[in-house]
Amino acid sequence: MNSLRIAFRNLSRQKKRSFLLGGAIAFGIMIIILVNSFTAGFVENVQENFSHLFAGHVFLFGYEKSPSGRLITVIRDDKVLIETIESLENLPIQYLSRRSSLDGTLIFEGESIRQEVAGVNWQEERYLSERLILREGSMERVLADPRALILNEKTAAQLNVEIGDTLLVQLQTVTGQQNVGEFILAATSIDTGFFSTLSAYAHRSHVNRLLNIAEDEYISLGLFLEDMQLMERAAQMLRDALEDKVSLVPRFSGPQGFQEQRNQLLEEQWEGTRYQLFTIGDFLEPLNQVASTLNTVGLVVVLILFLIIMVGVTNTFRMVIHERTREIGTMRSLGLQRGGVRTLFLLEALLLSVGGAVVGLVAAFLVALVLSLINFGTDSQFFIILREGHLLFKVLPVRIAGNIVIVGVLTLLAALIPAGRAAKMDPAHALRKTY
Amino acid sequence: MKKIPIFILSLLLLLFPSLGARAAEPDLKAILRTVDEMSNFENSDFSATYTIVSEKPGEETSVFTVRMFRRDRSDQFLLLFLEPEIQKGQGYLQLEDNLWFYDPESRKFSHSSLKENLEDSETKNSDFRRSSLAEDYEVDSYSENTLGKYQVYVVDLVANNDEVPYPRLKLWIHKEQPLVLKVENYSLSDRLMRTAYYPKYMKVEERFIPSRMLFVDELKEGEKTQVTIKDASVASLPDSVFTKAYLERVNR
Repeated sequence: MNSLRIAFRNLSRQKKRSFLLGGAIAFGIMIIILVNSFTAGFVENVQENFSHLFAGHVFLFGYEKSPSGRLITVIRDDKVLIETIESLENLPIQYLSRRSSLDGTLIFEGESIRQEVAGVNWQEERYLSERLILREGSMERVLADPRALILNEKTAAQLNVEIGDTLLVQLQTVTGQQNVGEFILAATSIDTGFFSTLSAYAHRSHVNRLLNIAEDEYISLGLFLEDMQLMERAAQMLRDALEDKVSLVPRFSGPQGFQEQRNQLLEEQWEGTRYQLFTIGDFLEPLNQVASTLNTVGLVVVLILFLIIMVGVTNTFRMVIHERTREIGTMRSLGLQRGGVRTLFLLEALLLSVGGAVVGLVAAFLVALVLSLINFGTDSQFFIILREGHLLFKVLPVRIAGNIVIVGVLTLLAALIPAGRAAKMDPAHALRKTY
Repeated sequence: MKKIPIFILSLLLLLFPSLGARAAEPDLKAILRTVDEMSNFENSDFSATYTIVSEKPGEETSVFTVRMFRRDRSDQFLLLFLEPEIQKGQGYLQLEDNLWFYDPESRKFSHSSLKENLEDSETKNSDFRRSSLAEDYEVDSYSENTLGKYQVYVVDLVANNDEVPYPRLKLWIHKEQPLVLKVENYSLSDRLMRTAYYPKYMKVEERFIPSRMLFVDELKEGEKTQVTIKDASVASLPDSVFTKAYLERVNR
C-alpha cells in the first residue's frame, strides 16, 4: 500500500511528464475503442436495415426445377416448415413474414422505373403497416383495393403518379414468362432514405397473380426475431429441426456464395423442392470482413502508436531513475529490497497506464456520444451505416477490457528494463552520485 | 332447278370467300416448322454483324454493333460487342445451359439470362437465337389478310409451356414464301407488349434471313429499336470461337 502511495506521489511530482505520457496512452485507448465500437455498430446497423427491408433475420427460400431445367424460386407448401417452426418453443420469433416479390418496370404515361415490389399479407405483417409512415393516401385505401400499391414518395414523384392513378407493371413470372399487370397507387410512403426507395408494397395475392403462382404460395419465409443477436442460434435450431424433414442446401456465405449456390442448383440434377436456410448475417458476410479489416487496421495503427509510447515510457523511466538515483540509494540504505524498488517503478508505470486507460475510455465515450448526436439525415450517402440518420457506436466490454489489459502489459514491459536497472543499483554508489 | 343451288353456292362463296379457302386449309404447323428451319442453323454455323439503333423519347439515340456467331446444333452462340467503343469487347457466350456475360474491364464472366433485353434496346437476347415456334407454340386460330402489298396468314399462337418469354404470339406470315413479316408479342395477361416488323430479307445460301428488323415497345410510347444485319455467312466457324478463352483473346 505504501509503495502504491509513493508511486502515486512520484507521478504527481512530475505532473507535466505524467500528463504527456498518460495522455498518449489515453489517446491510443480512445482510438482503438472508437474503431472497435464503430465497426460493431456499423455491422449491426447494416444488418438491422436489411432485416427491416426484407422482414426477417432468418430466411427460407424454396427451389424447384422446371422440366427445361430452369430454377424456380417458390414455396408451394409450407405445412412442414410452419409446423417445425411452431414446434420449436424456444425460437424467439416476433413475427413471420411470407412474402412474394417481383422485380419489374413500373410504367406511367411515358415514364418508367425499375422497382422491386414486395407482395405482403397485410394481416400477417401488421408490424409493417404500423411502421410505414404514409405521406398521401391511407392504409384503409390500401386494404380496400386488391391492386393497391404503396410507393415511396420520391419514386412516385419520379413517375409523376398520383393517388388513384393506374400504373402498368412489366415483369417476368416465376417461370420466366413476360407479364403485364396493373397497380393502383393507394398511398405514398415518406422518404426515409435509400432503403425506403428499395421496396414498394402491394397485396401478396395480386403479386402472386402477376408472378403466376397460386394465392397461398409465396417466395420467401422470413423469421423476424425478438433480438437480432439471436439469429445464429435461431438459424441453427431451425436447421437442426428441418434437416430430416426437408431437403436443405448447405449454408452459404455472402451474396457471391448465394449466387454460386443458385448456379449449383441450376447445374445439378435433382427433383422436388430444395430449401435454402440463411440469416441476414450469412448474406451480409462481406460486412464482417470489412469490419474485421477496419479493426485490424485500427489495431495496427494503435500498436504502432503504442510502440512509440513504449519507447517514450522506457526513456522517461530511464530519465526518472537517473534523476532519482540518490533517492533510490537512500531508500535502499533504509532497508528497501531490490524487489521493492522494481515494484515501485512498475507500480508507477501501471498507474500511468490505468490512468491513461480510464481517461481514454471516458474520452472515447464522449467522442462517440458527440458523433452519435450528429444527424446526417436519412437520405445521406452514408445511409447504410446509419440508424435513423445517426452513427451507432456499440460498446463491447470484453474487447475494451482486452485492450486495456494489452496497454497495461505493454507499459509494464516498457518500464521493466529501467525498473530492473534501478533495482540492481548499488546503494553506496547511488548515494555518492552528484548532479 | 339445278341452277338454283349453284347460284346459292356462288352467292355464298362471293359473300363468304373464306368458306372456299377453308376447303384448302394451310398446314400452319408445317409453315411454322419451315419458318423455324429458315432461321435455324442445324447443319451449318452462322455469323453476321448486327447494328442496333435504339430510340427513346427524351434520350439520345443509342447505336451499338455486335457480331453474332451461332452453332445451333450444339445450342451455342457468342455475341461480341464491336461498338460503341466503351462496350467494345463485351460479350455473351452460351455454353451448355449457361449464358455468360464477359466484361473486358474487369476480365470477369458473370451469369446472365436469355430473356434479358440486349442492353437498353427493345431486342432480347432470344431474338438472335434459334427459333422454336413449332415446338413451343400451338396454332390457336388464323385468318388470311394483307399486310401492305403482301398476302399473309395472320396466325395466333399460344404457348404449350410456361417457359417461353411470350405466352401468346400473333404472326403475319407471307403466303407465298414462309417469311414472317410482323410479330405481335403478348403478355400472360394478354396485353400487347411489343411489335416486331421484318420488312427486308436477304438470301444466304438457300435461306432467307431478315436483313432489317424493327421492334416497337407497345407499353412505353415512342421506344423502338431498329436492327440491320450485314456480312451474314453460313461458313463453318472454328470450335475455339465458342469458348471463354476466345472472348478473352479478342480483347488482348
